Amino acid sequence: MRVSDTVVGAGFVAAGALIFSGTLGYPTLEAGHPGPSLFPRLLAGLMAVFGGFLSVQGIRARDVTDEVAWLRLHRNPSFINAMFVLAGTLAYIFLVERMGFLLMGALISFVIMWRLQVRLLTAAVVAITFNTLAYLLFAKILRVPLSLGLLWF
Amino acid sequence: MIENLQTALALLTSWKLLLTIAICSIYGLFVGAVPGLTATMAAALLVPFTFFMEPLAALVSIVTMSAMAIFAGDIPAALVRIPGTPSSAAYTDDSYELTKQGKAELVLGVDVITSAIGGLMGAVILMTAAPLLAEVALKFTSFEYFWLAALGLSATVMIASSSPLKAGLALLVGLFFSTVGVDITLGLPRFTFGITELLNGVDFIPAMIGLFGVSEVLRNMGGAHLKFPITTVKAEHIFRGVAETLWRYKANMARSGLIGTFIGILPGAGADIAAWIAYAVSRRFSKEPEKFGQGAIEPIVDAGTANNSCLAGDWVPALVFGIPGDSITAIVIGILFMKGLRPGPMIFQEQPQIVYAVYLSFIMANILLVPFGYLAIRVSSTMLRVPRNILMPAILMFCIVGSFAINNSLFDVGTMLAMGILGYFFEANGIPVAPIVLGMVLGPIVEQNFMVSMIKSDWDLTQFFTRPTAAMLAVLTILTWLTPVYPILFRRLSRSPSAA
Repeated sequence: MRVSDTVVGAGFVAAGALIFSGTLGYPTLEAGHPGPSLFPRLLAGLMAVFGGFLSVQGIRARDVTDEVAWLRLHRNPSFINAMFVLAGTLAYIFLVERMGFLLMGALISFVIMWRLQVRLLTAAVVAITFNTLAYLLFAKILRVPLSLGLLWF
Repeated sequence: MIENLQTALALLTSWKLLLTIAICSIYGLFVGAVPGLTATMAAALLVPFTFFMEPLAALVSIVTMSAMAIFAGDIPAALVRIPGTPSSAAYTDDSYELTKQGKAELVLGVDVITSAIGGLMGAVILMTAAPLLAEVALKFTSFEYFWLAALGLSATVMIASSSPLKAGLALLVGLFFSTVGVDITLGLPRFTFGITELLNGVDFIPAMIGLFGVSEVLRNMGGAHLKFPITTVKAEHIFRGVAETLWRYKANMARSGLIGTFIGILPGAGADIAAWIAYAVSRRFSKEPEKFGQGAIEPIVDAGTANNSCLAGDWVPALVFGIPGDSITAIVIGILFMKGLRPGPMIFQEQPQIVYAVYLSFIMANILLVPFGYLAIRVSSTMLRVPRNILMPAILMFCIVGSFAINNSLFDVGTMLAMGILGYFFEANGIPVAPIVLGMVLGPIVEQNFMVSMIKSDWDLTQFFTRPTAAMLAVLTILTWLTPVYPILFRRLSRSPSAA
């Protein structure tokens, strides 16, 4: 996931510009003194300046993004594994209310372990045991309202 | 003072707290000993549990866990040449070279004892310095607090990072996150995009869990099948020859304990920086500098003492001024606010038993470090064999539940995920994530004190320099900004006599 400093710096310049534009409608204090916009604008300005420096540094060092690595990202096992983590967490956010913590937790853990080449039986046993213990700890001892979803009974 | 110490001791010796200390010790040792997991990540994952603890138990759990984790980071450094935490990186090569020479027991024995001694030195300095500084801090106004926070921000960028530019950008991102939510001057919602959950700002805890926990999981997805060739250690021999070694390097230990604590007191710099600086100083004054990196015990004594003494030093600015000494104390400040306690000089007057209990917990944790450390070394090969492909999904689930548990909100899980992606991307591109956290903690302090100062001085900027303490802090801050210039100046100065 490495990008050249030139591109990262340009990204920060753009972020600075976006933050600045977000403050344009903010009101001022009495006598025209800057109010809520002062700090964000200062940060936006510094972000753009620092980002600009980083870009220049990248250009001088001839730091370039490895485009081939980016184009082959879909074949990179680490990237695919990371995508499973992200997809699992997103699935948790959107489905946990309906499915419940135990089902979702066990499913996500199992799928990631399967992806990481843990033996299926081991993955299933660890996923169920770990998430049951986590449920007991958080929901029963610490009283966190974790949804039971389909396992409401 | 004696009365406060007695009350604190009574609080600390309750069975519940002793059990908390024991559990957190094991947790800290495990996290520290597993390469890739950091003490900061451990602290972030501990926060959801501290939410359900008494304030004192919450603080003590962090103290104990961090002391154990920083020591335990030395174990994989010695046995597999991978530092368990960044704080052990400075002397990893020396530790591993000695292990290859069949001296693993001596290295680990020195590690555990120097860590305990360093931690105790730091605790004594914390007990001495914090109340004195608290007296001074009582006279601070918004001008001094502004400069102190600015000094913390500057030190984070200029001293605590190898790339000040990238650390500066990370800090700005953290400061920007701190502006999200209702503004302090007019109550205007800033950058909330109509999302109710953002009115109170970006929640610090899910952000921390994402930046240090999820990003760590993502980073470890590639090395899931990594297997280490582990050296087996005869734990019963670890203290053999340690006394002679430490006696030989007693002056080194005293020096490094002071260096570590001083670095800790400096806002923004943590145990890893302390270890590197102690290592550099040790090399500078050593009679055998050529042996450094080749299997010398001297840098292990120095840096091992410094990184643990730094932990207590980090608590000085956190307790006295509410300014974090490092990313772990940034979490501590978050916990204090969560518990309704306001860090600052008043805590010494209003809640002295808490402050004294923190002092004593440092002493207790560092004494316990010896037996617990011994046990950790005994089971070290087992800990290092825990498969990452099973550990990482478990950590992810802890991150998810931990983030949810703070406000019972799935929005926080989303925040955690977003921060995890950001942290992963930043680290992959050499941008440190710790300044983001410090920015999030220090941002409101800087902005609030600046705006209050400006309004009460009728927008007269000179007021920031006219009070003696404020002026001194301003000078220190400006001197910190000039850090990159010093090496150039020194080079020129050292050349000039020979040129003449």
